[in-house]
Amino acid sequence: MTQAPTVLHFSGHQYLRHRLVLGILSGKPVRIDKIRSDDKNPGLRDYEISLLRLLERMTNGTVIEISVTGTAVLLKPGVIAGGNVVHDCPLTRSVGYFLEPIVMLAPFAKKPLQLTLRGITTDENDLSVDIIRTVTLPHLQLFGVSEGLELRIKKRGSPPLGGGEVQFLCPIVKQVKTLNFVDPGKIKRIRGISHAVRVNPQFSNRMIEASRSVLNRYIPDIYLYSDVYKGEESGKSPGYALSLLAESTTGAMHCSEAMSKPGVPPEDIAMVASRALLAEIRRGGCVDRQHQVLVLLMMILGSEDVGRCRMGEPTVRTIQFLRDVKEAFGTAFKIVPADPADANSTDLLYSCYGVGYVNANRSLA
Amino acid sequence: MDSQTHKAHRPSQSGAKAEKKKSAKGKGKEKQHGFNEKAFAPRSGRKADRQGRRTAERDQTRLHVPLVDRTPDDQPPPTVVAVVGPPGVGKTTLMKSLIRRYTKQTLNHIHGPVTVVSGKKKRITFIECNNDLNSMIDIAKVADLVLLMIDGSYGFEMETFEFLNILQAHGFPKVIGVLTHLDLVKKAATLRATKKALKKRFWTEIYQGAKLFYLSGVLNGRYPDTEILNLSRFISVMKFRPLVFRNQHPYMLADRFEDLTPREDVRASKGKCDRTVTLYGYLRGTNYRLGTKVHVPGVGDLDVKSVQILGDPCPLPDAESEKRRKLSEKKKLLIHAPMSDVGGVIYDKDAVYINVPGNFTKGGVENPGEGEQMVLDLQDVNATLEDAVAKSQIRLFGSSSRPLAVQAEAGPSTLRSSSATSDESGSEEDYSEDEEEGDFSGEDEGLGSEEEYEDHGSGAEEDEEGLGDRGRSAPRTVRRSMQGLPSSGGGKRGQVDYAESDSDLGGEDDDDPGPSRRFVRFEGDDAYDVPSDEDAEEEASDEEDVPRWKANLSEKAQAAFQNTARASKRRDWTKLIYNSTASPESILGLDGGGESSSNAAGMDDDDFFTLKSSAPAKIEEELDRTKEPVNVEELAEWEDEELLDSIRHLFITGSSSAQPAEGVDSNGEPYEEMADEDGSHVGDEDEDGDDGEGDGGSKPSPNKDATALAAKKAELKRKFDEQYDEPDAAKADFYTEAKEAMARQQQLNRAEFEGVDPEARALLEGYRPGTYVRLELTSVPSEMVENFDPTYPLVVGGLLPAEERFGYVQVRIKRHRWFPKTLKTNDPLIFSLGWRRFQTVPIYSLDDHSIRMRMLKYTPEHMHCYATFYGPAALPNTGFCAFNALSRDTPGFRVSATGVVLDIDRSTRIVKKLKLTGVPFKIFKNTAFIKDMFSSALEVAKFEGANIRTVSGIRGQVKKALPKPDGAFRAAFEDKILMSDIVFLRAWYSIQPRKFYNPVTSLLLSDKEHWEGMRLTGQVRREQGLKTPTNVNSTYKPVERPARRFNPLRVPKKLQASLPYASKPKLMRAQHRATYMQKRAVVMEPEEKKAMALLQQVRALRKDQVARRREKQEERKAAHRKKVEKEEAKKGEKEKERRKEYMRAAGLKSKREGDALDGSRSGKRRKT
Repeated sequence: MTQAPTVLHFSGHQYLRHRLVLGILSGKPVRIDKIRSDDKNPGLRDYEISLLRLLERMTNGTVIEISVTGTAVLLKPGVIAGGNVVHDCPLTRSVGYFLEPIVMLAPFAKKPLQLTLRGITTDENDLSVDIIRTVTLPHLQLFGVSEGLELRIKKRGSPPLGGGEVQFLCPIVKQVKTLNFVDPGKIKRIRGISHAVRVNPQFSNRMIEASRSVLNRYIPDIYLYSDVYKGEESGKSPGYALSLLAESTTGAMHCSEAMSKPGVPPEDIAMVASRALLAEIRRGGCVDRQHQVLVLLMMILGSEDVGRCRMGEPTVRTIQFLRDVKEAFGTAFKIVPADPADANSTDLLYSCYGVGYVNANRSLA
Repeated sequence: MDSQTHKAHRPSQSGAKAEKKKSAKGKGKEKQHGFNEKAFAPRSGRKADRQGRRTAERDQTRLHVPLVDRTPDDQPPPTVVAVVGPPGVGKTTLMKSLIRRYTKQTLNHIHGPVTVVSGKKKRITFIECNNDLNSMIDIAKVADLVLLMIDGSYGFEMETFEFLNILQAHGFPKVIGVLTHLDLVKKAATLRATKKALKKRFWTEIYQGAKLFYLSGVLNGRYPDTEILNLSRFISVMKFRPLVFRNQHPYMLADRFEDLTPREDVRASKGKCDRTVTLYGYLRGTNYRLGTKVHVPGVGDLDVKSVQILGDPCPLPDAESEKRRKLSEKKKLLIHAPMSDVGGVIYDKDAVYINVPGNFTKGGVENPGEGEQMVLDLQDVNATLEDAVAKSQIRLFGSSSRPLAVQAEAGPSTLRSSSATSDESGSEEDYSEDEEEGDFSGEDEGLGSEEEYEDHGSGAEEDEEGLGDRGRSAPRTVRRSMQGLPSSGGGKRGQVDYAESDSDLGGEDDDDPGPSRRFVRFEGDDAYDVPSDEDAEEEASDEEDVPRWKANLSEKAQAAFQNTARASKRRDWTKLIYNSTASPESILGLDGGGESSSNAAGMDDDDFFTLKSSAPAKIEEELDRTKEPVNVEELAEWEDEELLDSIRHLFITGSSSAQPAEGVDSNGEPYEEMADEDGSHVGDEDEDGDDGEGDGGSKPSPNKDATALAAKKAELKRKFDEQYDEPDAAKADFYTEAKEAMARQQQLNRAEFEGVDPEARALLEGYRPGTYVRLELTSVPSEMVENFDPTYPLVVGGLLPAEERFGYVQVRIKRHRWFPKTLKTNDPLIFSLGWRRFQTVPIYSLDDHSIRMRMLKYTPEHMHCYATFYGPAALPNTGFCAFNALSRDTPGFRVSATGVVLDIDRSTRIVKKLKLTGVPFKIFKNTAFIKDMFSSALEVAKFEGANIRTVSGIRGQVKKALPKPDGAFRAAFEDKILMSDIVFLRAWYSIQPRKFYNPVTSLLLSDKEHWEGMRLTGQVRREQGLKTPTNVNSTYKPVERPARRFNPLRVPKKLQASLPYASKPKLMRAQHRATYMQKRAVVMEPEEKKAMALLQQVRALRKDQVARRREKQEERKAAHRKKVEKEEAKKGEKEKERRKEYMRAAGLKSKREGDALDGSRSGKRRKT
């Protein structure tokens, strides 16, 4: 009488992380095929395998089957266990790639998570650990995941050799709170972290100077910290980066970052970061583009009430995520213009009815 | 007739006249009614203090954890009122009485739930619970109010207590006790005493002051109207606190049940095929979302294929319906009981059911008249119109050689008529033959309608096609078979689009569980193009099931559409994301526009083939990245000063013209409150721009500005007033705060999706409780349909995602104190947990000093312990109850344990003790060689360093394996051990519960009460007459203990010599020669002789005296004994008499009872 649970079926190598997260959270097996099947180098990449390993270690009873060619993978999720996990990330992706799905899963684990990740801490493709610490985690706090939520940057590691280490501590919750975030407010402060490892510490100050030249015109409340790691803590390769964050009166956050490229002076890097921040601010909304997926997922998982959030236009990832989440949880979002009267505003109001996801893994014993 | 009594004057109590009189009377003089404050004022301060404390305490007990009530206010689902009680107690009579009270109709045979309208805003579903334990469990999970019926003349019965315990485990809904058969108690004093005793027991069982009703006797087959009226009043004022479990799950009490399986499939499989059934009922609990599984207790986990909102069959009265109601209908109130005999017509989505009145049965009529025959024929049609259309064969043109077939892909009713293969065309012929046979023989196969369609076939193709289109429920895709395509000829046409999918993980592609999709295509090798509808594009289904070329078509169309429309129109994001198959990139317009537009223009066939080669033309692989690549050129625009200034208004230092300086003063305020208050903020940059206050970027007109300011001021004033008037009101206590937050959220929930149309709303928030829906369930076991019995409740419980999974569930459990036996580990137990009832094999355990979870063989007495079993997960904190057997013939109390879920995991950590024993074979000082504990050196290596002990308590450690006897090892002890010592090692062996899960499928049985699960080994042996195999080592043998022989202690001579005297062994041989004294003879003197003789005489005398005295005493004792014996006998006689009397009375009583059982009542009663 017990039929096999319905399998979530996806294809393509894109959006692997949120699909796996949806599968694990909903408890439905995920089958992903056609992973780079047309590519010269078909199948899963090393970082994707590494991610699957990490997920397997974080959970109890997960079965992962990878086909011979590596172009298809089947994940039968177990329960999210949490606890003490140590993972070495490959040097092809930064730890942000791995942290992002973990941040979505960790609040629903059986035990509070203490995850140590080693590898590259900042790179071009994924959120840097600074952004995750200063922006992603506050977003999680909107949903009631706050006590004991922490990301410690033990060591920094720049590409290509990495050598960084971060520790992610996450408490568990019974149920996430319903979000009602429709007022973006006005930007009241700008913070930033500019770090430089294995280069002249002056680079960091130069970046701050350049960034201030753009941002000072708006508000006086700007603090850009210079964060220089030395010796063992500075990783194996030289590099520097600037991450910026603007916070509004209501707690809405926008962020941007830029990291060093060979042959580009730090002033230019700072300019790119600051202008990207301005562009992000102009896009409006209460949540910036990189965190749309996280916020929408947590809204879906909230109690059976209407959650609302105002954001900018969805990104490509967000659109695909909305479709996938409908498959996994059967819930769609109502997306309407936030203020129809305003012709210039592109802000949208996302509202959904939470599924009432309760952390079933939580133990009472 | 002179003393005619006139009606006394009654002054009006209300209205204008009464008011006037009242005011004329004067204010001061009017009598004080009700509570007199002064009368209860405390006289002393201490008393006042005590009274105040007491009031505060009482207030605190009144408070409960605030729970959200998720039932909608406007159209709540009917309250479920269950009538429960032992057989013969008057349940049906009560049901009839209550239904008559509410509807003025009398039902003769009540089956299943009966829904009635009980008030302006209230409906009630009555359901009777039969005496089966399974039904009681299911009812306990859905009932909002239980009318617990108790036979007053008999007392409580076991079922009542069992039911109460089940209720307790599943959240305890409200209970009203109903005492019946009170007319059988003749004496008033006895009646009073009975009432009192029963009430006392009832109150201890539920709570002090629980409501208990007394129904006296039966009049005209009903209870007296006044008593029923009172009961109905109590039911109508009952308030329900939401139960936690029901607040988390959607559920439905099905009041109607139809089988939708095509008759042909049923016939072909001889009724054994899986069925498709529809269940109807009001949704309750939380919102039901399509795509989640449901559990039907007694059947199993089922997939819901579709949900359809139907018109409310028993709607609440509104002003309009009241107006329309005719005078003749005034008395006839609405009643909805599809399983009972309420006359009338029922409209389904695709069928009309006519209830033929009278005692009309289908088989019973020999030669029905024309009209009756017609109705019978109508009833026989089992296939829906849709199915009929699907089966019928339509020819587009009169000259067409092959008919047009509408084929359902996933449906079991697929009529496979393919073109190329000859065997399939053969089967088609078979089919048509079947059809003819069916028609001629007049079997109830439901093919009559089909024939009709065929007849019309050539005449009205267009109409038919239109009909078919209208009837479909799922979006469809149009497929064309191409000439000369190698893949189109084969039978596995469904596979074409998945040809490149790598299905090396097992063919899950094949049984793609999409909704039934139909393909219109032409038969024959020469194919034609069907001009595709314009709308076919739009309603294309989700992207993965769409053929590749097709997906791209819509994508191209989408892209082309966007290019033109983006500038002018606002996009409907919901539709773009959920209803189109366009890739995310194309929705955002990020892919190359030129290419797609050119593709969209040409609808040539070549396009379908060129695509494949163009697809992998991407140069660089796209990474799955979070950050979007920085476009430096785009950022270059920020060099422009104007642009930099244009976003100044987004900062707090920016110009305040766009927005009042709101942000500054509400600096640290949490956003939630902001948002909530924003409803009244008109001038806020909020989403409630419906007021037309477009103020985001545009300059507002001055008068608008003024109104905004005024509103702001008013708001501030209100806030100030509030704070000034009641300084404490601002920081209300937790309870009120939580309640207010809930109310606000509820308000938002209602308001948010108000204007959305029902279908989109169902997509957004699921199907809301209170709607009457039709659930279509697929692959239902045929036994459910065949053995359907409306007297058994049919509950559909929605499952949360976590509950679909299986794992090891850890629960806290306590054996019920009324259950006669202890529970044993690894004995099967039936759990009622969540919606499910299932049998599984638990392992009991107890926490051993927080170090380990130690297995228990038996549950402890009067204590909670843990149990771990394999089964479907349930949320922690869910209550459950457990049973050893469910059948009625189980003696005694059947609820064996109750408890609560603690934890769900995929592994367990229960251990049991394992003692390994060994014996020394060589002993040195503190070292010994031990054998017989392990069997190999490897095992020893595993246990190196482990603690061991001898029986005498000498502790030691495993050191290293020895090479010689396998498994022997060297061990070190704290002292020298003996060869006779047994050495043991205490270890812990981890055990896993057996993966056994057996759902109680009671609804699938024809004899629903006798579900039998896994039996105990002993039970199986007993039933099969097998002997218990005995272990040779367990048999009892006489214990032989050979006397231990100790060797004498021999101290070496040399040692002895050196020992001090005290330590020397002093062993002396026994004397064997006579001593000096023994050798000498004694000769006495004459005086001595005399004295000796005298002494002897004196002794003899004394002896004689003692003997005589003893004799005398014996005599006395005998006499006393005799006397006592006599008395004893007398007493025994009396006792015997008494016992005899008692037995006679008992016999009489049991005989009377037996007579009573043989009489009016059925003999199914078990004494408490």
